[in-house]
Amino acid sequence: MQRIFQIDGEETECWLGHDGSRFVLNTPNGTVACQLDPTGLPGGYTLRAKGVVRELRLAVGPEATFVHMNGRTYEVGRVDPAERLAGSDGGTGDDRLVAPMPGVVVSVAVKPGDTVKEGQPLLVIESMKLETTLTAPRDGVVAEMPFAEGDSFGLKDILAQLAPEEE
Amino acid sequence: MTISKLLVANRGEIAARVLRTAKARGLATAVLSHVAEQEGPAHLIADEIVMIEGPTPVAAYLDIPQIVEAAKKIGADAVHPGYGFLSENAAFVAALEEAGVTFIGPTSETIDLMGDKVRARVFVEEHGFPVAPSAIEDDDPASFVERARTVGYPLLIKPSAGGGGKGMRIVREDSTLETEIETARREGVRYFGDGRLFVECYIERPRHIEVQVMGDGQGNVVHFWERECSIQRRFQKIIEETPSPALTPEQRDEICETAAGIARAVKYRGAGTVEFIYAQDGAFYFLEMNTRLQVEHPVTELVTGFDLVAEQLRVAAGEGLSAAQADIPQTGHSIELRICAEDATADFRPAIGDILLLDEPMGEGIRVDSGILDGGKVTTDFDPMLSKLIVHGPDRAQAIARARNAVQNYVILGVTTNTGYLDEILAHPDFASGDVSTGFLAEQSETLTAPGEDVSDLLMAAAALSDERLVSDVMQIPEMYRKMGGWRN
Repeated sequence: MQRIFQIDGEETECWLGHDGSRFVLNTPNGTVACQLDPTGLPGGYTLRAKGVVRELRLAVGPEATFVHMNGRTYEVGRVDPAERLAGSDGGTGDDRLVAPMPGVVVSVAVKPGDTVKEGQPLLVIESMKLETTLTAPRDGVVAEMPFAEGDSFGLKDILAQLAPEEE
Repeated sequence: MTISKLLVANRGEIAARVLRTAKARGLATAVLSHVAEQEGPAHLIADEIVMIEGPTPVAAYLDIPQIVEAAKKIGADAVHPGYGFLSENAAFVAALEEAGVTFIGPTSETIDLMGDKVRARVFVEEHGFPVAPSAIEDDDPASFVERARTVGYPLLIKPSAGGGGKGMRIVREDSTLETEIETARREGVRYFGDGRLFVECYIERPRHIEVQVMGDGQGNVVHFWERECSIQRRFQKIIEETPSPALTPEQRDEICETAAGIARAVKYRGAGTVEFIYAQDGAFYFLEMNTRLQVEHPVTELVTGFDLVAEQLRVAAGEGLSAAQADIPQTGHSIELRICAEDATADFRPAIGDILLLDEPMGEGIRVDSGILDGGKVTTDFDPMLSKLIVHGPDRAQAIARARNAVQNYVILGVTTNTGYLDEILAHPDFASGDVSTGFLAEQSETLTAPGEDVSDLLMAAAALSDERLVSDVMQIPEMYRKMGGWRN
């Protein structure tokens, strides 16, 4: 079965199989026989792969798996290729404003249904003590404004969504 | 006066830390909380939680009338402000005084004086303590250029109304002084609507060294030695230690006595910190005085053996200082690491997330002052500092080794933190030799954030095998297909 993993912004397509006695992960770099066994600690596992044994602590979040190994913490984003395909009719990148960093909404200038011109201010956000005005990426109609004044949002949250352009 | 019930007007790790000492001294305790806030360690320690309201959580913690009212309502006879928020707000101190509630800190006059950087500097200079050579245009605009020249080069031109580094110009040669003054003046007008300037001697590769002082308000002051805080990102400290590796014993006595002298001159009451700029040639100059307990106070506690919050409470209760100067030792070495929810590889961008797994280090010489709990949420409502890891060792090398081991074993999963970055700093040869300045992190940013060993195959294996749906899907495929690694549907 297939998964796309994202580490430091780089996506890698992998395939997990089982050869009857152990799991094998096929990566673009080759095939890795691997085994993961729980230890007594919360989130504690022993990983055997590529001829090494590593003690690690691990937590599975909704979109990423967090791994603490060799004194470092790593984040591995997980993408199910099937879901990515299913979700791809949700609009093009041009239709939405994605949060460049976490912050708080200072004010909202438009509401769903409003017609907006390219460059028109949609909302003001505050991140890292700086206020930024976000503007419409093109002419169109506002479909969604998911956050209200005072709401906190996370990195990559969608702050505004325009209705798809009519052909 | 006696204190029987203490309200901590703060949150996070410092609220928990203050509450622990207050409880140990037998006081009834209460802490503030806002509805948007996650449960933290402080809520588990305090006898009482007082809810405060505001358009944002931060606004609630800055709401003087509401907090004074809260103190009166629950019958608190003293308020500890922690650091940040209202800890250096003279109006807050005055409002508490009026309400008959003891403020754990200095008088509002001291806060006023030290809060005004120009007045504080004049005060310190008038009492014969060292300030960086400077010239203030307002003193006599006609002679400003001539007076600037006598400061010497390199010098720094700053807008009087400025802040945040805007409009500052470094001048290294006399030939460019006058044109740079005109440029700085235009920038001052543009950024701050105010073209008045001052110049001061520019210190190359400075270190930030500060001294912990404690006064009884009657003119008796002791110091608890220095802290070195040169490891800063965006002008904010992230690693502090004591003793400073830069000071000789003679310089240490001199800088610590200078700080105590400044505090004596204001008849300082409670805990305070005198900050100095320390030049590579050993000269040091008064920078400012912080009239509160500092974030980094635990390193002082670990080398002296004193509980500084207990000292604050003693002084506020009129019991005076618990020790004479000769009884305050400086034993071994202590280092503090500020654990922050931020991405050191992306310009220290604050990170948010749910804490999925928390396992904090423990052991000999390790102290964790934490503001988070397992299962908590990290939001952008507050400062990104989650907790502080403080270690103590017999000497600096052993303290560094202990700090590295502890930070490597600090498990916080679910939100990006700076633990790996802090370890890279501790591992840097210049940190080990103590050869740092306040510009260290910026100068070494590439080395400190360089990618480590590529372990992506191991990480992907761990992520794949811990993905329950993926594993169960794989096991449902008929065995003959399962084996075929490259099988596609």
